[in-house]
Amino acid sequence: MSAQVSEPVRARAPATFGERLAGALERPRVLGSLMLAPAVLYVVFFVGVPFIIAIALSMSDATAGNPSIDTFVGLDNFRAVMQQETFWTALRNSVIITTLTVVSIVVLATIAVEILSREFRGKRLVQVLFMMPWAMPVALSAITWLWLLDSQFSPIDWVLVQIGILGPDGLFGPQRHMYWLGREWLGILSVVFVDTWRTLPLATIIVLAGRLSIPRERLEQAQIDGAGFFRTLFRVILPALAPVLIVAILFTALLVIGEISSVDLLTRGGPGHSTQILPLWAYLKGIESGDLGQGAAIALFLFPVLLAAAIVALRFASRLHKD
Amino acid sequence: MSKHTLQQISHIHRKGFVTAITATALLAVSGAAQAAGDPPDIEFRTQYGDMSFPESFPDGTELRITQWSHFVPRYDEWFEEYAQDWGDAHNVDVTVNFINLADLSSTLSASISAGEGATLFEMVAPPTAFIDGLQSLDDVNEAAQAEFGEQAGTCARSSYLPAKDQWYGFCHGWVPDPGDYRRSLWDDAGYPEGPETYQDLLEGGAQIYEDTGIPVGVGMSPEIDSEFYARALIWSHGGSIQDENGNVTFDSEEVLEAVKFQQQLYNNAMTPEVFAWNAASNNQTFIGGRASYIQNSISFYRSAQESAPEIAADTGFRPGLEGPRGDRMMPSHVWFIYTMPDYVEDEDTIQAAKKFMLDLEGNYANASYYSKFYNFPAFPSTAPQLLGEDSWLDNDPWGAEPADKLSLLKTAEDWTAWLGYPGYANPAISEVYQSELLSSMMADVARGVKTPEEAVSDTAEEIEQIFAKWRERGYVGEGN
Repeated sequence: MSAQVSEPVRARAPATFGERLAGALERPRVLGSLMLAPAVLYVVFFVGVPFIIAIALSMSDATAGNPSIDTFVGLDNFRAVMQQETFWTALRNSVIITTLTVVSIVVLATIAVEILSREFRGKRLVQVLFMMPWAMPVALSAITWLWLLDSQFSPIDWVLVQIGILGPDGLFGPQRHMYWLGREWLGILSVVFVDTWRTLPLATIIVLAGRLSIPRERLEQAQIDGAGFFRTLFRVILPALAPVLIVAILFTALLVIGEISSVDLLTRGGPGHSTQILPLWAYLKGIESGDLGQGAAIALFLFPVLLAAAIVALRFASRLHKD
Repeated sequence: MSKHTLQQISHIHRKGFVTAITATALLAVSGAAQAAGDPPDIEFRTQYGDMSFPESFPDGTELRITQWSHFVPRYDEWFEEYAQDWGDAHNVDVTVNFINLADLSSTLSASISAGEGATLFEMVAPPTAFIDGLQSLDDVNEAAQAEFGEQAGTCARSSYLPAKDQWYGFCHGWVPDPGDYRRSLWDDAGYPEGPETYQDLLEGGAQIYEDTGIPVGVGMSPEIDSEFYARALIWSHGGSIQDENGNVTFDSEEVLEAVKFQQQLYNNAMTPEVFAWNAASNNQTFIGGRASYIQNSISFYRSAQESAPEIAADTGFRPGLEGPRGDRMMPSHVWFIYTMPDYVEDEDTIQAAKKFMLDLEGNYANASYYSKFYNFPAFPSTAPQLLGEDSWLDNDPWGAEPADKLSLLKTAEDWTAWLGYPGYANPAISEVYQSELLSSMMADVARGVKTPEEAVSDTAEEIEQIFAKWRERGYVGEGN
């Protein structure tokens, strides 16, 4: 009979906290959740909570002096703002300014990317100059444009007079001033121009990243196949850039539609209320006039439209990316 | 600039407890001050009406003041020193935060929402919509009236809300808004004293525009000067937004007449530049020699004295313009209204803030002086040097030529109204003002977007809706 001798089973030492943590971090789900947590918390506390408060405010009779949300008024605030003539003008202008700015940016960013993706002398200087508008504070750039577009002292008008476009013998004379900010459509176009000038660098950087990720072989193949510049652009580059362009469009649209500074500093919504936009009108009603409920209702008005547009755009981008 | 030194010379007993402090060295920094026009010594009293205050507050008492960066920078320099001296004299740590005029409402709103912030906010227009978040200053106003006598109507009606029976602010001063004209241009056009009526403005302004290309410079843009001009025009034509009881009276023949006048004025004597103006534009245009008439406070004139002396010398002032039935009303350009939010709960801080407000009013001759007479006292008795016989305005120590150029401002209270004229300011009146409805209405007519009848009717409808909303909430009611 042989005695079976076995090593005594050693009790496994309990894992230290560090070991357990390391083990947990090995699991992709845990690590992924942890990495995402800061962004999620940021969105919850700095986007989600204010958004819910805004919805609650829009259905209350809260004022600037008494911001408590204790009286539910349903959709009264929405009904009230829809009776305001200026609200509809502001809605129209918000859509027009955003659309024109986005279209301009898509065209100009595509051109800029084609230039910046090539090598040429002084490219770094051009890149730095190109980024300047984005680096400048909004207020500073708007004030610069305010001077350039001034009714009396505009240097642009002066140049137009010198080259014979304005002035007594000018093409559009005899007036010596365009009154850029004193006429409805010139005012709107001025805002579009300044918004485009300011946000073009951001859109370009986004699109440039996509452009540089297109495999060089694909472009060379197109050249070998005899495709010219435009055929390559429209058949190869733009389809490849589509997902990135959609992201750029979305970013730009959301930035511009929520932007208050350009209009506030350039036209303040005038002449009359003809260049008024929703965020500025919400501010005037909600903060300056003290009616927080109406201000919140105006600010939220575009949310369903923007949400739908964002979902469609992101799904489209995602599908294109998979293809 | 020499450093300000304060000499605390003595305790002067007046009504029991009065501390007097002289600030003679303040004059050293003024430069232009003349001996005969010296502002009086600064006094800090301990008794105002029925309100008594300690000479010194307990250690740790803090007073934080948020107010706008004044249009006359010299005032801010003086105020900051005055506030520090007041703090030193009362054992209170005083900080003054000067912010942009446009940020006042949002800062007050954010502070009330957060439940913390400055002890006192100085607002430049009646903050009636904030009343639920503000402390009643009934006692301060009663004490001031007991001590200093009658308050200027434009201040009283911009700090008390009858519907709530509450003084929501303490208005320590206000700013006249005269008509300002180029003497040489109007002299050449046959108006040596400048335009006296709106009809003069139309006829003389059109002639000057035709002869020289220099237009009339009254704004029609979403900004405060345009809003004030629209009100002056409407009031002087006999119209108003509301009556004394807070009933909307806007849809009237008088308002329509005023709007038609503005259309004529634009067509004959103005350019589209006025649609793009901001609050600084009419100043800049006048100083640049490109306007024959504007409506503005004297801050532009003080700027012109330094940057364009020839324009300053050629500037004349009018106490508003007469309408077709002889009415002549101009608005205040700014009100200085201290408010104290509800979240200020420390009793020492509250008492210190109330004493600070009353002391400032008691020393208002200095405030007027260092604002270069931009600030007018809410209680005229506090600044006899400004408004009395042979006053500063008759012999301007800040270099006006001729020296009595500003003397017509002595009558300013007679022709000055307020936002809610003839009633009190209330949240509806404030919303009409902040939404820039009147300047937009004028612009719509001048641009040909609407007929005068359509514009008045549409605006009246919008005003009715605003009043109905605030009335339902209990902010506009009987007696207002």
